[in-house]
Amino acid sequence: MYKYDYIDQTLVNERVIQFKDQVDRRINGTLPEEEFRPLRLQNGLYHQRHAYMLRVAIPYGLLSSDQLRTLAHIADKYDRGYGHFTTRQNIQFNWIKLEESPAILADLAKVQMHAIQTSGNCIRNITSDAFAGVAADEYVDPRPVCELLRQWSTLHPEFAFLPRKFKFAVCGAKEDRTILLCHDVGISLKKNENGELVADIYAGGGMGRTPILGSLIKENLPWNVLPSYLTALLRVYNRFGRRDNIYKARIKILVKALGPEEFARQVEGEWASIKDGDDNFQQSEWDRVAKHFTKPTYKTAEQISTEDLIQSALENERTAFARWLERNVKAHQVPGYASVIFSLKPHGSVAPGDATTEQMLAIADLADQYSFGELRVTHEQNLVLADVEQAKLLELWHKAKAQNVVLPNIGLLTDIIACPGGDFCSLANAKSLPIAKAIQERFDDLDYLHDLGEISLNISGCINSCGHHHVGNIGVLGVDKDGKEWYQITLGGEQGNHASIGKVIGPSFGAEQIPDVMADIIDTFVKHRTADEPFIETYRRLGVMPFKEAAYLNRSKESTTGAVV
Amino acid sequence: MSENPSIKESSIQVNSVLLYPKGGKPSIIANEWQVWNGIEAEASLAQINQDQKVLAPFQWWLSHGQAQAQDPDSEVTKRIQKKTIGVWFAADEDILKHHEVIEAGKPAWALVAADFPIFRDGRSFSTAALLRERFNWSGEIRAIGDVLIDQLVLGARSGFDSFALRADQNLDMALKQFDLFTVTSQNSWRDRRSQLNERLNGHLSS
Repeated sequence: MYKYDYIDQTLVNERVIQFKDQVDRRINGTLPEEEFRPLRLQNGLYHQRHAYMLRVAIPYGLLSSDQLRTLAHIADKYDRGYGHFTTRQNIQFNWIKLEESPAILADLAKVQMHAIQTSGNCIRNITSDAFAGVAADEYVDPRPVCELLRQWSTLHPEFAFLPRKFKFAVCGAKEDRTILLCHDVGISLKKNENGELVADIYAGGGMGRTPILGSLIKENLPWNVLPSYLTALLRVYNRFGRRDNIYKARIKILVKALGPEEFARQVEGEWASIKDGDDNFQQSEWDRVAKHFTKPTYKTAEQISTEDLIQSALENERTAFARWLERNVKAHQVPGYASVIFSLKPHGSVAPGDATTEQMLAIADLADQYSFGELRVTHEQNLVLADVEQAKLLELWHKAKAQNVVLPNIGLLTDIIACPGGDFCSLANAKSLPIAKAIQERFDDLDYLHDLGEISLNISGCINSCGHHHVGNIGVLGVDKDGKEWYQITLGGEQGNHASIGKVIGPSFGAEQIPDVMADIIDTFVKHRTADEPFIETYRRLGVMPFKEAAYLNRSKESTTGAVV
Repeated sequence: MSENPSIKESSIQVNSVLLYPKGGKPSIIANEWQVWNGIEAEASLAQINQDQKVLAPFQWWLSHGQAQAQDPDSEVTKRIQKKTIGVWFAADEDILKHHEVIEAGKPAWALVAADFPIFRDGRSFSTAALLRERFNWSGEIRAIGDVLIDQLVLGARSGFDSFALRADQNLDMALKQFDLFTVTSQNSWRDRRSQLNERLNGHLSS
């Protein structure tokens, strides 16, 4: 993985000093809270319901085992012994003291990590495919581009006070695992017919209260001109994005108001004057960065069939191991290797994406023993060991079991994506964690879950959509009505190549009803499904009506609220 | 307080500005420029002492200034000759729409400025960048309005080289801001991203 050179390290060290000075001025009263707020947000420091929360960047989702150990150490020393992996390849610590935040940043800097631009109205941590470099369906390894863009965007002077936050995703595979179209800018990398690396640029996507899928605004852009093109794009947004209303300040509103063609034309106009400038990346920069993303020293190994792997387990373990191989182990580019997903969604857990200090330390050791000392963080809030020898899978499974991360529910109903919700977040209208827990407890039968197949269930505690409920096959959105917490259900959302935004089925439900409502929706699916049809296809074939009828049957008007749609 | 009500109130108390020329060192100098809000239209410019350096709103320049500049006897022409007039751009000004006016104005203006109506509004960073990149403005560009210490590094790299900080800001602390970062990770008006060639040649690798 990428190793900081003197410049990267100096920049991060100097940033720690800058932020410490800002914190000192806040504490001694010379910097008022109103003016400190955007500064601390640009460094990932929120003030939440109970305490400060620090969001640390995991650029494009890649972590070394030593970095994970440092995160474990921070959880232990400065927090309550756990961290929360988020849907944007960050980790959050929920119980931070303001005066200790500079020391945490200094600890992070020692392992080449930072919290720069993980919040605030600036370019956020750039996300990518958690399987970058190993996925069997990859056209291009996106990580050198991600790293060059990380450098380009870090403390960018012109774009630190944008109208709103700004999120990039970068994808280089056949299957989109980044929710590319739900980002302010999605960069889809590919090779053109001459074998050159080019990018298609999508702009104006996003979730929140106005979910919109991004539009293609530029095709076949040579990779090296990304800085000048993106400068032009951000400049148009910085100058003309709305600032009068924070709900209308995202680039999606600007792109929608102008129309994608007009927006693209304006970007093109701005770009024309800077495209040949010295902003652009040089081949030598690519070479310097890309050499850090070469393949590890894989052994020459034969591909092992799933059947042979299962047979290698003891008889009484075979069913469980087979399930794990089916759900949590993914195909690899290299014969004899596989990628393993550790589920951070054990049933009945408190928060999807949480990992304790003990788990982080143990997983770091497993990464060293089984995956060249590297890990990935997925936007589904799970962890990945990307380069595991197939021959070691059984051994790894045994060891990982002790950490409670081998539940074979990846991609299934209980692999729930959820934001921290009202338990932690001061923006939330409703809790999301108890809902996730209740659903996991209701659907605890693994045989049944496997029979149901792929279903994504996403929960957000408010319309900001951190739990990505709009793109869940089943989405749950916490809403507030008259001071009470209600939950609105959407169906039909999807991430990936056929990304779509779910539709609200009707009035919201009380928290206690959600597990029953889920059961009714799932029963309807089971009743109408043909053979192994996935949920989303059954939904598309039938439309919303049978699901809606089932969800509201036997539920009185008093137990739902008709007011919120 | 100034006795002239049309001086932009937020700027009247700014007695010093921070000057940070490209390639030079930052220093505090006396502020010689008053920011005029232009509300009283053409009559009021004459009310401001002719030796007083005045930054007029670009919108006023569009409606009155550029026409007066054609008249050899006008107040504006006299100020151009004395180098006592410049313009300031509002945060929402689309300067690219006025390319010809700005090109024609360049020889007339002794100073240009861009306003921060509130520190969180970053549009003027792009205005400064455009003035440098698109208009090749080589003279001073001043940040005015709600300009705070923690924005100075950003402003200096976007294209500003002088800062009329908000009156309550600590100037000694402001001077030290430019020492915070010795490296950069993207090109800007002031620097190429850090020592690109040295970096690529591995001279600086740790």
